[in-house]
Amino acid sequence: MEKQQVGSLRFQIDFSQPLHEQILDQVRSAIAKGEIGLGEKMPSVRELAQELRMNPNTVMRAYQELERDGLTEKRRGQGTFVTSSPERVQVFRTDLAAKYIDAFLAQMSSLGLTWTDVKAYIQQNHTSDKGGDRS
Amino acid sequence: MTQPIVICQQATKRYGKKTALDKLTITIPTGRIVGVLGPNGCGKSSLFRAITGLIRVDEGSIEVLGQQPGWQTNRGIAYLPDRGRWYPNHSARQALEWGESLLPGFDMDTAKRLANFMDVDLEMKLSGMSRGQEARILLILCMARNVPLIILDEPFAGIDVMSREAIISGLIDYLENRNQSVLISTHDIQEVEGLFDYTVMMNQGTAIWSGEMDDLRAEYGSLHNVFRTLYKKEWKP
Repeated sequence: MEKQQVGSLRFQIDFSQPLHEQILDQVRSAIAKGEIGLGEKMPSVRELAQELRMNPNTVMRAYQELERDGLTEKRRGQGTFVTSSPERVQVFRTDLAAKYIDAFLAQMSSLGLTWTDVKAYIQQNHTSDKGGDRS
Repeated sequence: MTQPIVICQQATKRYGKKTALDKLTITIPTGRIVGVLGPNGCGKSSLFRAITGLIRVDEGSIEVLGQQPGWQTNRGIAYLPDRGRWYPNHSARQALEWGESLLPGFDMDTAKRLANFMDVDLEMKLSGMSRGQEARILLILCMARNVPLIILDEPFAGIDVMSREAIISGLIDYLENRNQSVLISTHDIQEVEGLFDYTVMMNQGTAIWSGEMDDLRAEYGSLHNVFRTLYKKEWKP
């Protein structure tokens, strides 16, 4: 698996996994993390398809989904841009965090850990983090 | 739901004792880049020849562009045959001019753009070209046609990595925003697997799997794994 930089986006595509989800996930997290800024121009479908050696249809499908999420917007004749609304990204980031936390909790419960165990661990970790910050 | 580009029902073709297509039943949707994959002799080329009307199936039926294959449907198909060659005394430009005057839907501007993109010298004679350069010419003759179906039989066989890269780039560049269907057979899956969004896996004249490439990935992982699982043997590209 190679890392590929396309504009301000970084991709790591694994051809053994569904491709359109990978593009979607990786662009989403780039936007949530602010790696690609608000209102910034996205690479064109063709550009991304070329760089990733991928079917333009696959890239297009991912782009359409991003647009439906409200994370990007198409401007006539200019291409696709990241939304310029910080609120939209904030909402999305919160949703994404909730999703990660759910996945994390599901994993913990499959390990047989109770909420009390998890909470205790998080609290302990959080406190030692703060300690680290102060020094 | 748009009409499928190809429908095969129980299509069977025998050459003497050898069965090239064995009750092949598949439906290929329109507007996709389809990988037709499988080991040598699995029936990929026979399928393409049947679609282009070069052979007639002994039993069952094949429909392409909503009709039985024949000269009428071939207007709408650009076909790159396996082991295709071109007139050695032609220059690249003459080959393209031939295409312009004889091939339905051929667009010279597109052809020149593709030639430029794939580093083809238009004044060079075919006789002086390497296999890879000749293959690019043949590919341009197919891809410069504005037709609903493009069939490329082993477009990468015997072609060096640079030529292959140029061909793949040309394909990606050209296919964007086109509602064309492309069938590509290959056993060199490595650089091309990202290109396919629909796949037909063939073995011994029949389709052992067909469907969305992303579903295949979700089910089996990489194509390398697919081959190992579906064909029960190690795949050596």
